Amino acid sequence: MNAAVSVSAILLGLGSTIPLFLVAGVDPVAAFQQVLSVFTTTQGVTEAVTRAIPIILIAVGLCFPFKMGFWNIGGEGQLFMGGFAATLMVLMFPDSPSIIIIPLMILFAFLSGGIWGLIPAFLKARLQVNEVLTTLMMNFVAILWVDFLVYGPWRDPQGYGFPLTPMFPLEARLPMIPGIRIHSGLLIAIASAILVYLVLSFTRWGYEIKVAGQSQSAAKYAGMSYLLLTLLAMFLSGGFSGLAGMTLVSGIVMRLRHGISPGYGYTAIIVAWLARLNPIGALVAGLLFGGLLVSGDALQIGLGLAFSTVLVFQGLILLFVVGADVITQYRITITLR
Amino acid sequence: MQPSPIIKMEQVVKRFPGALAVDHVDFEVGRSEVHALLGENGAGKTTLMNVLYGIHRPDSGKICVNGREVSIRSPKDAITLRIGMVHQNFRLVESHTVCENILLGLKNLPTILRLKTAEKEIEELSKKHDLPVDPRARIWQLSMGERQRVELLKILYRGADILILDEPTSILTPLESKHLFDFLRKMAAEGKSVIFITHKLDEVMAISDRVTVLRAGRVVGKVATSTTSKSDLATMMVGRKVLFTYERRGGASASLVLEVRDLQVLNDKGLPALKGISFTVHAREMFGVAGVAGNGQKELAESITGLRDVSSGQIIIDGNNVTGRTARYMIEHGVAYVPEDRVNVGAPQNLSVAENLVLRTYRYEPFSKRLVLHRREIGANAEKLISEFNIVTPSRYAITRTLSGGNLQKLILARELSGKPKLIVALYPTRGVDVGATEYVRGLLLKQREMGAGILLISEDLEEILSLSDRIAVLYDGQMMGVVTAESANMEEIGLMMGGALKKAA
Repeated sequence: MNAAVSVSAILLGLGSTIPLFLVAGVDPVAAFQQVLSVFTTTQGVTEAVTRAIPIILIAVGLCFPFKMGFWNIGGEGQLFMGGFAATLMVLMFPDSPSIIIIPLMILFAFLSGGIWGLIPAFLKARLQVNEVLTTLMMNFVAILWVDFLVYGPWRDPQGYGFPLTPMFPLEARLPMIPGIRIHSGLLIAIASAILVYLVLSFTRWGYEIKVAGQSQSAAKYAGMSYLLLTLLAMFLSGGFSGLAGMTLVSGIVMRLRHGISPGYGYTAIIVAWLARLNPIGALVAGLLFGGLLVSGDALQIGLGLAFSTVLVFQGLILLFVVGADVITQYRITITLR
Repeated sequence: MQPSPIIKMEQVVKRFPGALAVDHVDFEVGRSEVHALLGENGAGKTTLMNVLYGIHRPDSGKICVNGREVSIRSPKDAITLRIGMVHQNFRLVESHTVCENILLGLKNLPTILRLKTAEKEIEELSKKHDLPVDPRARIWQLSMGERQRVELLKILYRGADILILDEPTSILTPLESKHLFDFLRKMAAEGKSVIFITHKLDEVMAISDRVTVLRAGRVVGKVATSTTSKSDLATMMVGRKVLFTYERRGGASASLVLEVRDLQVLNDKGLPALKGISFTVHAREMFGVAGVAGNGQKELAESITGLRDVSSGQIIIDGNNVTGRTARYMIEHGVAYVPEDRVNVGAPQNLSVAENLVLRTYRYEPFSKRLVLHRREIGANAEKLISEFNIVTPSRYAITRTLSGGNLQKLILARELSGKPKLIVALYPTRGVDVGATEYVRGLLLKQREMGAGILLISEDLEEILSLSDRIAVLYDGQMMGVVTAESANMEEIGLMMGGALKKAA
C-alpha cells in the first residue's frame, strides 16, 4: 500500500511536468528520453549514484527525528558542520596515513553534525522553541561559518582568491571503489542505511522512537524520557548529515569550499518522505533522486532547459507524495443528496 | 412564566455511531425564565443544546422558536433566531483584542473596520449589563471570568434573547460565579430566557426557575425549582436502578496498598484540580471513586501513577512514600495504570499488538537486553496474552489501530494485569466499551482483587461503582465529598455528593 502510494505519486509528478515542458517550448518526449539516458548509460548511472550518496546519508538520518514528529530541516547546516569538522582534522593532522585520518574524519564529522543537531533539540525540549525555525536558521549559521573559513583563515593561498581550502592530501581522500568510478562514500551510505534499519527494527531506541511518534503522553506512560529521546534522535540525525558533509569534502571535492552542497539537506527531506521514513527505502529513493538531479543537468545541457525546471519537478513530486499521504488517512465518500 | 414557550423542542432524537445521545426529548423554555438542564456526564445535555444551536442536526423531531417551526442548520441560523451559546471551552482568539473577538464572524462588517466605534458600543453594552471588560485588552491577558464575560458580550452584541450556557461555573471562582448568577437573573428579569447546563445541584437550586433532568438521553423530570429539593433532583439525576451485584468473596485485607494524604494537584491550566484529598486503599479491596468527569479524576489517577506532578501532599504505596516519583518508578513498583485515553496513551495505535503488550515492560528482560529488543520473546508473550485474555486480532503483529474498542481495552488490561500488580488504577475502564467486553473487564478487576491487589476504580458509571466496589468515595470539585461502604451506600446520598450538595465528615 505504501509503496503503491509513493510510486503513483512519482508517476503523477512526472505526468504533471508534461505541461511544464510544453510551456518551456520543449518536446516532452525528447525530455523524457534525455532523462532516461541518465539511467541507461554507465556515465549517467555513475554520476547519479555519486550524487545520491550525501542525499541518502541525510535521508537515512532523518528517519529518527521524523518518526518522532520532530521536523529537522537542518540537514543542510549539519552537513556543512560535518564538512567543516572533517576539514579540521585534515588541517590538524596533515601527514596522517589514511588508516588514521579517514576514520578520524568520519568520527568528527558525525560528532560535529550531531552536536549541531542537539542544539535545536534542546531548545525545543526545554523551551518549546519551534524546531522548524531553529533548524532552518542554524543552516545559515553553519553555511556562513564555512564561508568565513574558506574566505578567510583557511583559504588556499594558491587558489587565485577563490573561497576554497587547499586540496586534501591524497591520504585524506576517500578511496575509489575498485572497478567503478564511485568513491567509497557509497559504502558508508549503504552501511548507514542498513545500520539505521537495524537500529529502528531491533533496538530499544527504535521501539521508543516509534512510541514517541504516537504522542508525548504515550512515551511518558511507557516510562520513557521524551527529552532524552529527542536529543538522541537529533544527535543521530545531525550525525549522519555531518557524515554526508564528510563524503562531499573528502570524496568529491577533495577540499572545503563555498557552497559544497546545492541543497542536499532539503532534497533529503523529500527523499525521506518518499521512502516513508524507511532507511532502506531511503537508499532506493535517494538513488532515484540522484538520477533526477543528473537528469536536470542532462536537460540543461541537452535541451537548454533551466535548472529551475528540475527544482520545480522535485517540488511537484513532494507535493504529490505529501498530498497522497494525507489522502490515504481519510475515507472519501461521495454522497448525493 | 409565560404560557407560551419561546423555545419548544419536541421529540428530538440525535444519534451518533454507537450511541443514542438524545432520545425523544421534549424540552421547553419560556420567557423571563432561568431554566436549568441537569444531568450526569453523557446524559445528553450538551448534545441537546448543540442541536438547538445548530451545531448538530437532529435525526428527527421538531424545534419551534417563538411558536414558529424552524430548521436550524448552523449556528448562523441560531444567531439569526436570537439564540446565543457560551460553550464550556471558550471560542476566543487569544492574540486578538476583546473588540476583535466580538466582531469576529459578523456578517456586515465594512472592509476597513471601524474599531473605535465598535469599542465604544462594546463599552456601552458592557456598562449596561454590568459585565466590566476592556474592549482593547487582549484575550490572553484576561482571567477566566473576564473571558466568559467576553463570550457573553459576544452573544449579547448579536442580539441574543435566548442564552445557553454550558457548565459556566466550571472555570469560575465562587465570587465570579455569584456575579454570573446576578447577571443571569437580570437577563431573565429583562425578558430573556436563560438555559443553564449543569451537574451542580446547588446552582440549580440557587438560580433556576425550572429544571429539566436528563438521564441517558431521556427526560426523567421536569419541575419548577420551588417545588423540588436537592434530594429529589439527585435521585432523578442518578436514578434508582436494579443493581446487578457481583459476587465478592472475602473482605478487604487490613494492609494498606495506597494511602493518599492531603493531596493537592494542579490541572493542565494551572488551576487546582485536587484540593487536598485523603483516602486509603487496602489490599484485596476495590475502592470506587464516583463523580462526574472533570472534577479531578484524571489528575488523581495521573498523580498516583507518576504521570503528573504533585503540588503538595503525600502518596504512599505499600508503606513507601512515592510522592513525585516518575512513571517508570511506579511501573517498577507494582503500579498498573489503565488510562482514560486508550488510543493515544494506553496503546499507541501505530504499534503492533505484540509491541503494545510490552509497552511498560520492554526495557526489562526477557524482552530486551541492554539495547537489543528480543523480538522472539515479545512475540511469545503476545501469543500467551492474546489467548489468555481472549483478544480478538488477526495476528499478534497486526497494527493496534485495527482493534475494536473493547479489544483495545482487553489488550491494555492484559498488559497491566499480567505483571501481578499491587495497585491497579483504572480510569473510566468501560467507557465506550461494548457490553460483552465490559463484563469481561469487570470480571478481570474482581479477579485481581481476589489475588490480593488493591484497585482504585475511577468511573462515571455509578452502577459499575456500586456493584463492584467495597467502598465508595465521591469526588466533586477536587474534594472528597465522602466515603461510604457498599452496604450502606444510599443512592440519594451519593447523588447529592456528586452534585456537590453534601459533604460528609471524614
